[in-house]
Amino acid sequence: MDKGVIISGIGHFSLILWLLFGDWFFQPQHAPEVAVTSVSLMTSAEFDAMTSAATQPSEQRPTPSVEPEQPAPPPEEAAPAPAPAPVAETPPPLAPEPRPEPAPQPDAAPTAPEIAPVPEPEIAEAPEPLAPVAEVEQPILVPQSSPRPKPKPAPRVAPTPAPAPPPEAEVAEVPTPPVAPDPQTPAPEVVEEKPPAAPEEATTEIVTETTETEEVAQLAPTSSARPKVRPQRARAPEPAAEEPRPASTSRTETAAAEPAETPAERPERPAAETPRQNDSRAVEDALAEALGGGTEPASERPSAPARSGPPVTSGEKDAFRIAVQQCWNVGALSTEALATTVTVAMSMRQDGTPDAGSIRMIESRGGTDAGARQAFEAARRAIIRCGTRGFPLPPEKYDQWREVEMEFDPNGMRMK
Amino acid sequence: MNLFRSLAPMGLALALLLPAAAPALAQQGPLRIQITEGVIEPLPFAVPNFVAETSGASQLAQDMARVIAADLSGTGLFREIPASAHISRVTSFDAPIAYNDWKAINAQALITGSVSASGDRVVVKFRLHDVFSDQPLGEGLQFAGSASGWRRMAHKVADVAYSRITGEGGYFDSRVVFVSETGPKNARAKRLAVMDYDGANVQYLTDSSSIVLAPRFSPTGDRILFTSYSTGFPRIYLMDVGSLATRSLAEQPGTMTFAPRFAPDGRTVAFSLEQGGNTDIYTLDTASGTRRQLTNSPSIETAPSYSPDGSQIVFESDRSGGQQLYIMPAGGGEPRRISNGAGRYGTPVWSPRGDLIAFTKQHQGRFHIGVMRTDGSEERLLTASFLDEGPTWAPNGRVLMFTREGAGAGGQPALYSVDISGRNLKKVPLSVPASDPAWSPLLP
Repeated sequence: MDKGVIISGIGHFSLILWLLFGDWFFQPQHAPEVAVTSVSLMTSAEFDAMTSAATQPSEQRPTPSVEPEQPAPPPEEAAPAPAPAPVAETPPPLAPEPRPEPAPQPDAAPTAPEIAPVPEPEIAEAPEPLAPVAEVEQPILVPQSSPRPKPKPAPRVAPTPAPAPPPEAEVAEVPTPPVAPDPQTPAPEVVEEKPPAAPEEATTEIVTETTETEEVAQLAPTSSARPKVRPQRARAPEPAAEEPRPASTSRTETAAAEPAETPAERPERPAAETPRQNDSRAVEDALAEALGGGTEPASERPSAPARSGPPVTSGEKDAFRIAVQQCWNVGALSTEALATTVTVAMSMRQDGTPDAGSIRMIESRGGTDAGARQAFEAARRAIIRCGTRGFPLPPEKYDQWREVEMEFDPNGMRMK
Repeated sequence: MNLFRSLAPMGLALALLLPAAAPALAQQGPLRIQITEGVIEPLPFAVPNFVAETSGASQLAQDMARVIAADLSGTGLFREIPASAHISRVTSFDAPIAYNDWKAINAQALITGSVSASGDRVVVKFRLHDVFSDQPLGEGLQFAGSASGWRRMAHKVADVAYSRITGEGGYFDSRVVFVSETGPKNARAKRLAVMDYDGANVQYLTDSSSIVLAPRFSPTGDRILFTSYSTGFPRIYLMDVGSLATRSLAEQPGTMTFAPRFAPDGRTVAFSLEQGGNTDIYTLDTASGTRRQLTNSPSIETAPSYSPDGSQIVFESDRSGGQQLYIMPAGGGEPRRISNGAGRYGTPVWSPRGDLIAFTKQHQGRFHIGVMRTDGSEERLLTASFLDEGPTWAPNGRVLMFTREGAGAGGQPALYSVDISGRNLKKVPLSVPASDPAWSPLLP
């Protein structure tokens, strides 16, 4: 064949491949998105008129009556400044009371007269910073090891810990369904009181006597970590320092003085996803949806006829997986079975329940036949037990989950 | 970048047009899910009272069901659903099982059985059911024996159930030899005794006229090695369990012998011999009396324990300055150290499965029972107390029993057991203080 034709063919083929898969192999380098804030232009006359109006006490403006009654929000929630958080700590439980209003309008505050005209930056009388701004990044004292809470011993080891039920509660074997009154028979006179039921206490790993009685390691740093000082910036002077102010008002002012840093004004985006991931996933999802496929890597799928209909999303798969794993009890498995990964295939009914007769082992890895049999039986028990009421699968996508293959890999559980 | 963006739609169009590219993205075949997280919790099971097929067997049927339930619950791997929660009653061994009734109370395993007694002969039939599969798990079985051996029959039923569900061998039909201790710490009377693994049926093998230590079963369970101070010095003895006949082994004036343990062949005994202030490990052929020295070091070598295949011996030695664990070939040779952590390691015992070595560890004023792999890796400490020592393996290599003693003059020794995962630590119910347990093999 002519060399030119070959070179041309290779070149064209490479171009087609690049067009098809270039997105996957050569991730485009997106520039970081710029936070955009819409502004409006005004003349100096308009500005003066506006500011002069703001300085006058406006008695006509209704003061929100709910404002003074609002509980003082915790500083962690209301302070918009990105305070450095060197230590990853478990966030405190959410308070039952409603969140305070984010950044109310400054003119709505009862101390509206205090809002001063925006001064020129050079005459700002910002308070002295508590400490000089460091020239270089200051080291932050952190514990040597992660201060994770020590797991408590519990008879049940589960992916998520559960607190011990109250002493008066009985652990329910199965959820008690509500009893509907039978129209044929009269309702009994005396209704027996059922004791409250609670989920069984669970921990995330096996706690032996040795670890249970071990002294807690000193995780705290030897000296206190000082927060990094924010760079000095222009700030409005305190014009009416004599007047006492409610705490909520001063917080309102702080929020109003730093509108650019208010989280609400930033484009909302999941923290775990970068813009590039977002884009590539969007393209991938669009392609997958156009072709009726899912979002799994192609290497995980065998060659078989494609199914029609929308694909099962990652969230739906996760819900399915979680529903099965909470019934997958590996506590009574032998050491060999705990080293065996089995893949189980089954057919599903449209109501989300598995066809128990169709559950079969199609593959096992890493153990003996006996271990594989035990592992398969544990997997089958999990599927049947938790599938009694039907798994949370979207009925409109039944064609996608009519046949399911589940891989049960207990290797992570062996080290619990 | 812009070039890429402008070409991306073209790529999309091409992908739509080219069927060859479609399989890479479309969901094909079954939905695939990977499960890597589960739960570890006792498996709920139910043992309704066995059906009495003869008039005199009703109490026996009830007692056997209780022993089976206690055996399984005692492992920590199973949790019995009490009879008060049962919905259906089993009135006939051959009647069909109402699986839905057992599913409703979340019983994942069900054991049904019947007992018939005729004179001194008792027959127990049983069947294990996988409730959520709506079918029996394996074939039904039956055991026959004398009425006095009903507990052993119940243990055997539990062994079969345990083995079928977990895939591991059972250990309920086994015995434990131990040293029964009475009196204050400074004047203890010690006797050899045997019991069922669960503390029942205690029988004494020796009187308290002399101090006895460290009894060890033979691989067949018919003989016991132990150390006695009957001559004023420690010396090893061999006892026949059936006749209680005892004879001295390795007699040599001016020496002390102790820490004996059988080789898997049941014929060779490894032990420690102290001579002239030095202690080394020897072997002795119990049939011919031939003795052979395995170690020759100025340090103290003791507590030998064979690997299940009989090819290696693990022992403790202070040759490196501290008390550590070493492994050497069963015929002697250069030992290699396997313990590397801080503290002192002693009383190593090789697991019947061959994969782990149990030991006693003393570190920072506390004693631990622990396990490690045979190369010294993956050391796990299972217990911690004022004094834990002398672990012994259950026949299936899943459970350890050991001695725990409290502090002070009033601290009495007691036997405890723990799963090799560190769970299910519990005291063996015994009415007398006890120490130095040694588990027998599974009884025939």
